[in-house]
Amino acid sequence: MKLPQGAKSELTFVGSLFALGLLVFWDTARSEPPAFNLTVSPKVFPYAIALFLMGLCAVLFIRILRGDVATPEGLNPGDPIEKSDYKTFSIVLASLFAYLLLIERAGFIVAAFVTFFGITVAFDNKKPARAAILGSIFVLVIYISFTRFLNVALPAGILEGIL
Amino acid sequence: MSSFNSLMDGFASALTLSNLGFGLLGTFLGTLVGVLPGIGPALAIALLLPITYTVSPASALIMFAAIYYGAMYGGSTTSILLNTPGESGSVMTALEGNKMARQGRAGAALATAAIGSFIAGTIATAILAFTAPSIADLAIKVGAADYVALMLLAFTTVSSLLGSSQIRGFIALSVGLVLGLVGADLQSGLARLTFGNMSAVEGIETVPVIVAIFALGEALYIASRFKKVGWNILPMKGKALMTRDDVKRSWKPWLRGTAIGFPLGVIPAGGSEVPTFLSYAVEKNLTKHPEEFGHGAIEGVAGPEAANNANAAGALVPLLALGLPTSATAAVILVAFQTYQIQPGPTLFLTDGALVWTLIASLFIGNTLLLILNLPLVRLWVQLLKVPRPYLFAGIVTFALLGSYALNTSTFDVQVAIAIGIVGFLFRRYGMPITPLILGLILGPNLELQFRRALQISAGDYGTLVASPLSKVIYLALLIVIIGPLVWNFKKKLAIKK
Repeated sequence: MKLPQGAKSELTFVGSLFALGLLVFWDTARSEPPAFNLTVSPKVFPYAIALFLMGLCAVLFIRILRGDVATPEGLNPGDPIEKSDYKTFSIVLASLFAYLLLIERAGFIVAAFVTFFGITVAFDNKKPARAAILGSIFVLVIYISFTRFLNVALPAGILEGIL
Repeated sequence: MSSFNSLMDGFASALTLSNLGFGLLGTFLGTLVGVLPGIGPALAIALLLPITYTVSPASALIMFAAIYYGAMYGGSTTSILLNTPGESGSVMTALEGNKMARQGRAGAALATAAIGSFIAGTIATAILAFTAPSIADLAIKVGAADYVALMLLAFTTVSSLLGSSQIRGFIALSVGLVLGLVGADLQSGLARLTFGNMSAVEGIETVPVIVAIFALGEALYIASRFKKVGWNILPMKGKALMTRDDVKRSWKPWLRGTAIGFPLGVIPAGGSEVPTFLSYAVEKNLTKHPEEFGHGAIEGVAGPEAANNANAAGALVPLLALGLPTSATAAVILVAFQTYQIQPGPTLFLTDGALVWTLIASLFIGNTLLLILNLPLVRLWVQLLKVPRPYLFAGIVTFALLGSYALNTSTFDVQVAIAIGIVGFLFRRYGMPITPLILGLILGPNLELQFRRALQISAGDYGTLVASPLSKVIYLALLIVIIGPLVWNFKKKLAIKK
């Protein structure tokens, strides 16, 4: 049987959502609620949601096999699905993780700058110097307006004492 | 005290000099963020929430109302000039509005959108002011079992009316429900789906999820897909003014749009998609210029824009009176209230009456500020559309991450945000709607609470769930919502076969 374009990756996606349902089911089964008597056990909802999710995923799985493939956002049904641009995607994703790793170790200014710069370069790598300058101005303005005027605490990190 | 007097008190507390200053700032920021392509009102409000964290509740509310209207207005500007609607409610506006802009009539399209939104917003807020208290009075009598039914109805309508595929909507809802399960169960203290992580015990915060699923998800999706596609900004000639003929053709659609939008906001009908579409269809049928539809008919902008705004105000009725959000934007507003320590619901008018009236007065003020500020400033907003995409996404993502971290100054929220960003990417790639996930996350825990409450009152008798007349009516409606589309599709298939 020949599957329509994009069906394989969607089957993987729906399969992993089914696995999420299994995970919820397993976590609920192994948990031990407190002994006192409750009218509705805290296990009822997780079980119901897990079964609902797995059931829906199973139905969608069959439908995809029969040709009901998803239309990516922004496309019309039947449009050819072009291959994903994994390079740009990875740089953007790496920039997000950089923020997570740097926010408490190096402070907001460094973390936000790295993220900003990374994403700008991912989308358009022709003018890195301009991105760096605009990025630092943007991050500084945000940092100062949030910490000084809005009293929202952001970690100063390694630049502590300088600003 | 009558609603009118309470409202006047609301105006008195909202109309101080510093509050007006916050209102102006909110209008400015709301439009600024809303006008950025791809950002709808829900995301704009979520992104700007950190700004209101440290302001006093009354000031925060007026700023918030201004952000809300500003973001809605900004969204229609993008639809008209760029043809990139930031949310489903602006799709119809883009249809005719962008065609008008192509003919050099962008000014008239923007003006009819702004004035129509103002009129619809004002009328709808007035209806809200005078109906919400009595609905809240009725709502106090709504029992736990009725709440269960109402929430199931909201889940079903939002999941099956949004997006192209009912089953994908329900899967999105279930993923949201799973996210809502994470953390210690309120009644028994049982830790669910925490896998030994201490931060997860307190549950998943809604703000990081909302900003991440919209902003991070969109950035990742665009990165994977449309790198080379540019935007085509249409020039705006002249001022944002309407001719006498434009006004003559617009005022009826404004009023009809309001009449369609408001009631469909009150009942859980799945957000602003249905009312704007209906309004467009009505105008297309009633117009004296049918030849212009599809080529830039002003009625096709005036009606849906009014419907969109009236719908948003209508959605505040179930939100304030029942604590039940029926759209992504309403869900974000609910979260905003909770950060100001306000819990919407039937008792809100009793416990926080003054604050509610301040909010309603703020909605009037925000709406008016917007009209005064935005029509003259429209050229400035148009300039914003020229921000290059790399900077646009970098800025939005930085802001989204800032908001996730600043909420509790915790990296756990940032981890959640990144994970949800990836989920948002996958949802876009595989055609799953986002709103059901958000509603599942927010309402799931609430549904469990009311379900347990109902069964405790009935001592475990499940019959209680369908005992009241209201719940019977709701389940009947639910049945129609589920079976309706199935029958419709079946008929369509039969017709095709023939």
